[in-house]
Amino acid sequence: MTENHATSESTTRDEQALEALLYRLADDEFVLAERYTEWQIYAPTLESDLALSNVAQDEYGHARLWYDLLQDAFDYTEADVLWEREPADFRHSTLCELPFADDGWGDVIVRSYLYDTAERLRLEALIDSSNPTVRDRVEKVLGEEDYHREHAISWLERLAETDEGNERLQAAVDRLFPDALSLFDSGPHEEDIVATGLRTETLDDLRTAWFDTVIPTLEGHGLTVPDPDDVDRPDARGRDGSHTDDWFDMHETFTATYHELDFDQPTRLRGEEA
Amino acid sequence: MSLEGPPGPDRPDDGPDGPADPNGTTSSSRGQACGYTSYDDGEAPDEYPKTGDGASGVEARVWAELYEVEDPEMPVSVVDLGLIYDVEVVDGHALVEMTLTYSGCPARDMLQGDIHDAALRADGVEAAEVDLRYSPAWNVSMVSEDGKDALREFGLSV
Repeated sequence: MTENHATSESTTRDEQALEALLYRLADDEFVLAERYTEWQIYAPTLESDLALSNVAQDEYGHARLWYDLLQDAFDYTEADVLWEREPADFRHSTLCELPFADDGWGDVIVRSYLYDTAERLRLEALIDSSNPTVRDRVEKVLGEEDYHREHAISWLERLAETDEGNERLQAAVDRLFPDALSLFDSGPHEEDIVATGLRTETLDDLRTAWFDTVIPTLEGHGLTVPDPDDVDRPDARGRDGSHTDDWFDMHETFTATYHELDFDQPTRLRGEEA
Repeated sequence: MSLEGPPGPDRPDDGPDGPADPNGTTSSSRGQACGYTSYDDGEAPDEYPKTGDGASGVEARVWAELYEVEDPEMPVSVVDLGLIYDVEVVDGHALVEMTLTYSGCPARDMLQGDIHDAALRADGVEAAEVDLRYSPAWNVSMVSEDGKDALREFGLSV
């Protein structure tokens, strides 16, 4: 093996790991934001409607920031990373894609709490990433995430105060916990993501930290959390490209307008290229 | 910034949908500022905000043009808002580095387009490129004194 060959192999390995890491981040944020928007005009109060819309807007912003980086690093277009990407190539956790349970405000709150706690942990594990372009974005994103957890926790407390609210939360925990575990499932190039220092924690360590936070918190609100070892995991894990049927329906819905409009280039609002 | 975005995720003294702002944004800014931007205090990193002070030649002309670009919904220039992180012109090619107050800023494309066009208007610039940067993360202390005056005049408490 020549030296050049070795260098190029190692470059490829770094690039593949970066790409895999960015898709995990971006897809989670985008798909969950897309689900949250279904609550617009349906949330229990006007304030909660606006609050959840803002959370969705944040997550879209973060998705865009990671998709931007994919475009910068790999010369992809926005269509490549999103609109024309095969649904089976998306790497988000199945927690993000599940439809909400009927009448499921408790589902929104539990999902947001489980997700945003995981989100904080994994962003913190990127603060010292070996990749400067990843590192540079983390502080901004982390700073915008605090509110999401405050929102979820304040609603957890509020719902947990009544029997009915508690039942809804418990139903949501029972429903969502098995899929939430897929947040920490490995996908392509996971070993290289850690070996190259892109992320400074392993998924196992992140999952342990997440258990240490979410289990006592939920139990502290009178909820029963399944023993992770006894959870019957769904077949679809998301991270490996396996998804629920609901994801494929959702993908068809959110790409429908793109295909109808038949864009051949992005719209520009102003400027000499308009 | 976008004044007409939905109300912010959190402004003070809300109920469960808006936990009290731990950093004490004043209530007088409610409903008037960009709903997405946090006006919490922070510290401006060294060398920020960048104002173009000390620039010369074509780069000074680019800064002058950038001072003419206002936030889409507030009468304050993008330079005074602290959004411009760097300007460099090499052989007629201008590179402007900028940030956003909020990563999901709905006015992003508009701001980038306006800044791109402003750079092109500077004498000596043949081509312009606008890159987004997220570090250091913007906070309100990166608004210049002139910018703060403009925002106060507009009715914001900063």
